[in-house]
Amino acid sequence: MSSIAGRTAIAGIGTTEFARHIGRGEELTALEAIRAALEDAGLGTGDVDGIFQVEGQKGEPWDVAQRLGVERLRAFSTVGGGGGAACGPVVWAAVAVATGMCEVAIAYRARHRGSMQRPWAGSPARVTGRRAFELPHGLVAPAQQIALTARRYLHESGAPEDCFARVAVVQRDHASRNSRAVFRDPITIDDVLSSRMIAEPLHLLECCPETDGACAVVVTSVERARDLQQPPAVIAGVAQASTKRHSLMTNLHAPDPFEWPAKSAARDLYGMAGLGPQDVDVALLYDMFTPVVLYGLESYGFCKRGEAGHFVAAGSIDGANAKLPLNTHGGNMSEGFLHGFNHVLEGVRQIRGSSTSQVASVDVALVGAAPVVPTSSFLLTK
Amino acid sequence: MSEHSMIEARPLPDITDVAAPFWEATRRHELVVQYCAACNTAQFPPEVSCTECGAPDLTWRPVSGRARLYSWTVAHPPLLPYFAARAPWPVVAVELEEGPRMVSRLIDVPIDDYAFDLPLEVAFEDIDEEISLVVFKRAGG
Ligand SMILES: [Zn+2]
Repeated sequence: MSSIAGRTAIAGIGTTEFARHIGRGEELTALEAIRAALEDAGLGTGDVDGIFQVEGQKGEPWDVAQRLGVERLRAFSTVGGGGGAACGPVVWAAVAVATGMCEVAIAYRARHRGSMQRPWAGSPARVTGRRAFELPHGLVAPAQQIALTARRYLHESGAPEDCFARVAVVQRDHASRNSRAVFRDPITIDDVLSSRMIAEPLHLLECCPETDGACAVVVTSVERARDLQQPPAVIAGVAQASTKRHSLMTNLHAPDPFEWPAKSAARDLYGMAGLGPQDVDVALLYDMFTPVVLYGLESYGFCKRGEAGHFVAAGSIDGANAKLPLNTHGGNMSEGFLHGFNHVLEGVRQIRGSSTSQVASVDVALVGAAPVVPTSSFLLTK
Repeated sequence: MSEHSMIEARPLPDITDVAAPFWEATRRHELVVQYCAACNTAQFPPEVSCTECGAPDLTWRPVSGRARLYSWTVAHPPLLPYFAARAPWPVVAVELEEGPRMVSRLIDVPIDDYAFDLPLEVAFEDIDEEISLVVFKRAGG
């Protein structure tokens, strides 16, 4: 069976500004980001014949196609999994292009949550499904779900308590050089630990903000991408994963809650690309809360189980010249919460050599969606 | 419903779905979980089939009620009004002796006494005529 490894590439990236309140709708920012990505690639709206999006935004792929004046939309899908779907639209765009369903696919995410009430701010009269066993006890928001097992992680791993805070500090340092970032003022570990407690052991500065904005990329064949104006970011491997007895955010009903879906994705991702964690020069890992970054480091094999806290505390992610440079755009926590789709764009910048925290000599970049829910990821090469 | 009780409303479970036998048991102050007829896995939360082996036949059986404290968090405002009025609000995860883990709360254990693997036993919090929630207390307490 032929693999799609190395047969497609990201040829263009586009984004709106990120802001607390952007002042116009998701339908508009989606189009702005898509047009910017096409312009970056040197293509036009007339070239588009595939559209892939993340769930939970205004407008279906065919609505977007109409608004772009697309003649024939030949492949489309909406990928579920919330933050776990951050890489999903690129995964399916690559599959559709590699199999000939379409030639130029858009993958995008518009997300305006800065302007919206959080979905968990209200509660239904009666809670159904698995959440019926969480909400009545006061486990309501994602921060609380992640905090619930983060304490167990510290206990089992023996990692220093401030290892989570260090992730926020490192990412803010990267954001301080990035003019797109919503938060750019450098912070210290003391700043993080003295910020307001949200859900113990997580403080305010260990949680991503809610922001408005949109991001898009253009996926096409490697051959076509090489004829376009930007250096292609070749999609070397893709993966999606959900695992046996997984439950969202806590994974509490799996035999080992710290064996996250992303660990399964990693196996397929590296297998498809013929690469391993030792080949990765920069990692863009989902970060809605600091512990989740550590889970990404372990899931993608940069650390063994229980070692990520020690790895971070030892300075292994500090800066663009670190042992493993990480979230060099500032991530969801400091650049803006585009549900991890902004990590996709930063992966491309690192391959092109155009990041504001550029890692020297990048041959391989890994982009990973939220590891703690049904997830997706891909590897980029030159 | 008065405006006050609207604001104070606590999120409560739908007791009519696949978990109905669970809620009928808690009403009797009994803790039951599903057991798979094929592989004998103890399953929680309730599902329509065994999530270990996929077999469809499940039976509800009582469990010992003995558990250990697996982990916990303490939620701080902003919270839903019911919890905000009682903040900070501790939430725990417990591991039943039979294997499954549950999200719950501890009664009669001060937060400073929370410890990993603290021995616990089940208790019940009666919410109204229909609903009793599963909570835990210190074993032998
Ligand atoms: Zn079974």
